[in-house]
Amino acid sequence: MNGSTLRNGLSGLLPWILPALFVLAWIIVSETGLAPTYLLPHPEAVGRAGFTYIFGDPGQGAYAGRFLSDAGASLFRVFMGFSLAALLGVPLGVLSGRTPAVRRLLSTSVNAVRAVPGICWLPLALVWFGIGFKTTIFLVALAAFFPIYLNAASGARGVDPLLLQAGAMMGVRRLRGTFAILLPGAMPSIMTGLRLGLGIAWAYLVLGELTGVPDGLGAVIMDARMLGRIDIIVVGIILIAVMGRMSDLILKFSLRCLFKSARRMT
Amino acid sequence: MKPRLTVVSPKAVSGVRLPILEVRSLTKVFRSSHAPVKVLEEIDITAAAGELICILGPSGCGKSTLLKILSGFIPPSAGEMRLDDRPITRPGPERCVVFQEDALFPWLTVAENIAFGLRGKGKDRRAARREVDRFLSLVGLTPYRDYLPREISGGMKQRVALARVLILKPQVLFMDEPFASLDAQAREEMQNLLLSLWAKLSHTILFVTHDVVEAVTLADRILVMDKNPGRIRAEIPVALDRPRRRDDPEFIRFSRMLHDGLRGSGEGNLPGWP
Ligand SMILES: Nc1ncnc2c1ncn2[C@@H]1O[C@H](COP(=O)(O)OP(=O)(O)OP(=O)(O)O)[C@@H](O)[C@H]1O
Ligand SMILES: [Mg+2]
Repeated sequence: MNGSTLRNGLSGLLPWILPALFVLAWIIVSETGLAPTYLLPHPEAVGRAGFTYIFGDPGQGAYAGRFLSDAGASLFRVFMGFSLAALLGVPLGVLSGRTPAVRRLLSTSVNAVRAVPGICWLPLALVWFGIGFKTTIFLVALAAFFPIYLNAASGARGVDPLLLQAGAMMGVRRLRGTFAILLPGAMPSIMTGLRLGLGIAWAYLVLGELTGVPDGLGAVIMDARMLGRIDIIVVGIILIAVMGRMSDLILKFSLRCLFKSARRMT
Repeated sequence: MKPRLTVVSPKAVSGVRLPILEVRSLTKVFRSSHAPVKVLEEIDITAAAGELICILGPSGCGKSTLLKILSGFIPPSAGEMRLDDRPITRPGPERCVVFQEDALFPWLTVAENIAFGLRGKGKDRRAARREVDRFLSLVGLTPYRDYLPREISGGMKQRVALARVLILKPQVLFMDEPFASLDAQAREEMQNLLLSLWAKLSHTILFVTHDVVEAVTLADRILVMDKNPGRIRAEIPVALDRPRRRDDPEFIRFSRMLHDGLRGSGEGNLPGWP
């Protein structure tokens, strides 16, 4: 084994060091009885609960085999809310980044609304949309919108005017210029905004689901708290972390597949 | 009345060619925060088809501003400009620019950058690809076709910048100190490349520089600019034989004279000039 493969192996290990240390610490405090099991269950208990939750048959117990339907419901909500935010945020952001009039029109209001913590919208959303699907999507879309919009705007504003001039002199008109120069030029920022937005989407998903929807990962956590099933709460938290990370990877991967600029500039 | 300079070198430029670019009394005033600044005053330029004109002037005399106006990026305050008898109003592929700074699209490869202007011109893929291959080899970048701009040197970037506009067959080519940021050797290579492309494709070129030797190497005619306000002080035909050699005594004599003449600026004259 030569130096460079060793180094590659090491840097491949790097991301797993913190989780491993964390689990180790968890095992130690559980084994030594530092943390009582009603506050923090033993990793093994959590592992077993997680296994039943994911692979168990529905008859086996309270949460057995519910994972697929919960994850599906949560993913669908995140996807819908995030898509809505992206469909509004990217075009509006690019527009306001390039057009001073649009920027002046939007910026005050956007910044005012942004200053309101997302959780404040919850009561209003409950009144408007009732408990469940629509409220969750509203919250997710609202929260994800701001990072997407703001990053798209600053990306579009930051595109080198020389590139647009170069396009104009090569006979590129507005429409093609937008797609062939402006969007690729702003792509690194747009991508950052989308990834931040997706992260926030997961946070607000849980908030929306805590209000008493029957399914979804957030709902499971809330339900488990009422029933005192700490192990299931921990399982839910870990699964949300894993799915959040996976969705970020998938987003990055699909952007790279779809856009040269995402592939070559980030 | 400014004294006009006459032919210096033994041979006169021969052949009557039709004017393709005509600039009359072009003036540009910038309204800055304090007071209006007159950057260009009464600029007159006539370029014949196929002519290579160098605009030589000190930093800040308005060379870039002049090219920006001629390319249609900013409007003049007064004056007239016509290309092929049509007024110039906005940017277009018949007047291409090679910028001083790197203006390649960083997300496109060398070949894609060169092909950029061809897209949307209704060329079929096969023909477009042949064109791109031809211009890649003309600027000597065939082995680098799939490199990204950040992976190639400054000189190569300017080759790409040259190829991507030459492929559009512009009627005039504006070049704004395109080689100023290169080292001496790369600059010389690029000048030779430009001259060989010019011999092959015979474009009309307006080349801005502040380097006397570069101007004498390239130009059929040198327009010397003054500062504050920017205007054309002198018009000097360069009748040295081509290909020109930088170590030719005639070349050196000519460059020295021009150089000395420039140093005595401010009097609206080139002292020491015959
Ligand atoms: N947008 C602008 N607003 C106000 N003044 C400007 C503007 N653009 C250029 N100027 C002024 O016009 C003058 C000429 O600028 P320009 O860039 O054309 O000079 P230049 O001859 O190209 O110089 P250099 O050789 O350094 O590139 C400068 O004094 C500059 O301050
Ligand atoms: Mg300049």
